[in-house]
Amino acid sequence: MAERIPPEERLTNLVVALMATEIGIAKQQILESVSGYRQRVEAGAGADALEKMFERDKDDLRALGIPIETLGDHADPNDLREARYRIPQTEYDLPAEITFSPAELAVLTLAASAWRDGSMSQDARTGLRKIRSLGIEVDEPIIGFAPRLDLTPPAFAVLQAAIEAARGVAFSYVKPGESVPSEREVWPLALIDVENRWHLYAIDVAQQQERTFLLSRIVGAVRTLKATFDPALRQGAGERGLAGLQAVLERNVAHLEVHPGSEAAMRLAARMRPAQQGFDVGYLDAAIFADELASYGPEVRVVSPAALRDAVIDRLRATLTLHGETVPAAEDHQ
Amino acid sequence: MNARRAGTLLAPDRVRLYLSLVPYLAERGQVSVAEAAADFDVTEATMRTMVQKLTVIGLPGEDGYWQLDQDLFNINWDLLEHEDVIELTNTVALRRAPRLTAREAAALLSGLRLAQAVPGVDDDGTVTALIAKLAHGASGAPADVIVAPAAADEVRRVVAAALKQHRAVSFTYRVPDAAPTIRTVDPVKVHVANGQWYLQGWCHLRRAMRTFNLERVSDASVTERPNLHGADEVPELFAMSEAAPVVTVEVATELAPALGDYLSAAGSVDAGGTTTARLRLGDPRSVKRLATRFGGELTVLAPAESRAAAVEWAAAALAQYG
Repeated sequence: MAERIPPEERLTNLVVALMATEIGIAKQQILESVSGYRQRVEAGAGADALEKMFERDKDDLRALGIPIETLGDHADPNDLREARYRIPQTEYDLPAEITFSPAELAVLTLAASAWRDGSMSQDARTGLRKIRSLGIEVDEPIIGFAPRLDLTPPAFAVLQAAIEAARGVAFSYVKPGESVPSEREVWPLALIDVENRWHLYAIDVAQQQERTFLLSRIVGAVRTLKATFDPALRQGAGERGLAGLQAVLERNVAHLEVHPGSEAAMRLAARMRPAQQGFDVGYLDAAIFADELASYGPEVRVVSPAALRDAVIDRLRATLTLHGETVPAAEDHQ
Repeated sequence: MNARRAGTLLAPDRVRLYLSLVPYLAERGQVSVAEAAADFDVTEATMRTMVQKLTVIGLPGEDGYWQLDQDLFNINWDLLEHEDVIELTNTVALRRAPRLTAREAAALLSGLRLAQAVPGVDDDGTVTALIAKLAHGASGAPADVIVAPAAADEVRRVVAAALKQHRAVSFTYRVPDAAPTIRTVDPVKVHVANGQWYLQGWCHLRRAMRTFNLERVSDASVTERPNLHGADEVPELFAMSEAAPVVTVEVATELAPALGDYLSAAGSVDAGGTTTARLRLGDPRSVKRLATRFGGELTVLAPAESRAAAVEWAAAALAQYG
């Protein structure tokens, strides 16, 4: 019975071994010499099982972002029987020219605390730890602030992974004003939080045009496709998408009458521009804005556009109906 | 956030930890187990075990020989046993921190976008410089995860200044359906959640910890009074007092998540696609705003005054459209 070496020791030994070599080590040599494999070889474990274990270990380490290089046969690079493996120091190390000031580290510490739970929170903290291990003095922490990002849409993680891998995705999407979802196939480029809602900025594959999708309008699971796209398309996509959403806010303008001093006046204050007899407010999604305006009840009257006004009236009438009230007959609003 | 994780780390998590722990220890020289455990968000027992295990990790032995001492990491065992302090005495590799993964960089980048709105954080272009450094220090291109910047705001600046100067802040506070009040508050914490800014602090008027939505704040100024409660414990952000009245509503289960933080403080029962939720609201009539927001998808069941308020609210709004 061989002494049992825990997998994290075997994996860390493998990293150390692969970093210590310039020319690479062959698989057989790894299995015979690296602690964690060696003991299993000595105990007479089957070659197949050991090779499978080595393949899994490589996958696990690559998933941690560790750059394992495979050097094939010179004569035939696709022949991996004689492959040698190594981790190039220059690709592994945090580049030496990157330094952080104590003030920057204090800001990064605040940034890392923003993700509430889940894998993004863990990624942020691990990233921060790597930077802190550079041995930088920390400024006095930024006290008293707790910014928080919430990731409710389940599609988020899948889309983020697809953006990183530059792979297409497919999903069902309900357009504003429609009730039946349609199938979309897109190249995802960036995720953007505007007005507290996550948006996907992407290229619609069929139309070859850039489009923005609201994550909460995606129905069911997002499927990652095999097909990849040109990673260069992602360059500056976040800023382009944000500019596009801001253009929508400029274009979609509601004219409202708002009771001064009311809850509505306060909630809308940052978005309102004074106009003749009332205020102009830009919005991204008519259905979501109609929900918000309906919540203000008599504090807000929608003057235009007509579709938005009708959507708010629909919600008010439905509220009455649901609570067993007779609703006044619809009139023609001019 | 700083809840220490239980000792159930998966093998890749532990590898990831070792890869940052070695350069951290090499840089620090000597560090207490307690401090290292806090920095790495693990229990002290986990940290102690991991450091002990580090001493069997190292370079492969030559030609099948057992590894020699200089091939393995080593620690100062006496120091660990007697003073609970970690010191590396032999380092065979991993001296420099690894690059950030694309994910790690993306998570920090989006946190930065949010932190940018905190007064004082981006005064010297700090955030812009950090964004460039993180992208450069990552092993793969991080996904663009962008949080739209919020407009600068005088109230936030005043509250930030009060926090920094350890002084009380005074302001006018407006809540729906009530007269405005003048408050003096010893600030403890500002939360930024779902685009809303909340101040938690000790309210001189109510003589208790209170949470204030900064959107409802106006005429804010820093006072001369010292902040006497700045280090006090604050309750969970959306914790509702058990004494608050209960309002019962019914909503399609698929829409229930949209109740968000209301729901988290409530008891709810799902049956046949319908969720019945018991919400705690400071003013039971304020559920009227939820009822019209859900536009016929949310029924107020009880109490009668809440139901009546919802009906009146919708009717009054509808009357404006003649």
